[in-house]
Amino acid sequence: MKSNFYVDQSYWYCIFLLIVLGGCMSNPMRPMHGFNDALVQTSKTYREPSVGNKWLVALASYQGKDQIEMFDVRTRKRVPLPGINRADSQPISVSVSADGARLAFVQQRSDRTELFIYRRKLGTLQRIDLTQKGIPRRVTLDSSGKVLAVQVSRQGRWDVEIIRLQG
Amino acid sequence: MGRVERIQASFGTRNQQDPALSANGDNLALIVDYNGRPSVQLRDLRNGKILPLRHLSRNQPHSSPSLSWNARYVAVIGQRGNRRLAIIEDRVTGRSHQLVMPRDRIPVRLSLAPDGSQLALQVIEKGQWRIELFDLRKKIELDQPKLRSKSTQSVLGGL
Repeated sequence: MKSNFYVDQSYWYCIFLLIVLGGCMSNPMRPMHGFNDALVQTSKTYREPSVGNKWLVALASYQGKDQIEMFDVRTRKRVPLPGINRADSQPISVSVSADGARLAFVQQRSDRTELFIYRRKLGTLQRIDLTQKGIPRRVTLDSSGKVLAVQVSRQGRWDVEIIRLQG
Repeated sequence: MGRVERIQASFGTRNQQDPALSANGDNLALIVDYNGRPSVQLRDLRNGKILPLRHLSRNQPHSSPSLSWNARYVAVIGQRGNRRLAIIEDRVTGRSHQLVMPRDRIPVRLSLAPDGSQLALQVIEKGQWRIELFDLRKKIELDQPKLRSKSTQSVLGGL
């Protein structure tokens, strides 16, 4: 009788342990294999991701050249960005607004590092000048694409500057 | 093409890096040196206050923060032991979610979708950069502007 009690107790202890361990080990994040496999098949390497409501923007590297690429996550298709990539420039940071209408990016061209806004519907580029001299490094956008936070190098230190675009 | 206005420069801390705005534009996450350790800091841009983070006061060094729409979720690359991992703190429930990758894939940067439904993770594998997307919809409540309840507002604003 007593040994049965211990067997029952061990059984329920094991069940409890399995439930607890199962809960701890369950991964809350499910890989999106279809999209991830599509990226791998392009034979490019990707870095600096920025995710919008249904967009992924990243820097794609192929044969030593970096360029900005945008994907529709649902269809897994690349979205054209006419005029954003230049043969003489290297992008180093990119961010997309929630609706995918605007991209902010930092790029190096010859000895200059510059900050730009790209309006996708118009296909236009606007250079954003920092009000205080500095070298931009990283950029992030809010949902509207009208507020930017920029990491800037000034006199040997990193600052973060908030910029609002009027229009 | 429109004017440019600088609305805030420098937050009084030395070496601020990796800025990330919430989609609503009210919050900013950035990496600052805290006792020599790169740590994520969350600020309310409306009043300049630093907002407390329950789980992200550890697992340093932090890098690459990212925020959801109302900054309910704060995602960052952190460290547990000798492994880099992605950590998401839910500021409403106080829970944290961790994504540990296989040892041959080291997470380097991340980006959270505005509603928190997806996470893009840049990893390095065999010397190559890669981006992997993860679906979070089955595990976390979405952080959308219209779904923001009064209790959520008080938690997010009052923290």
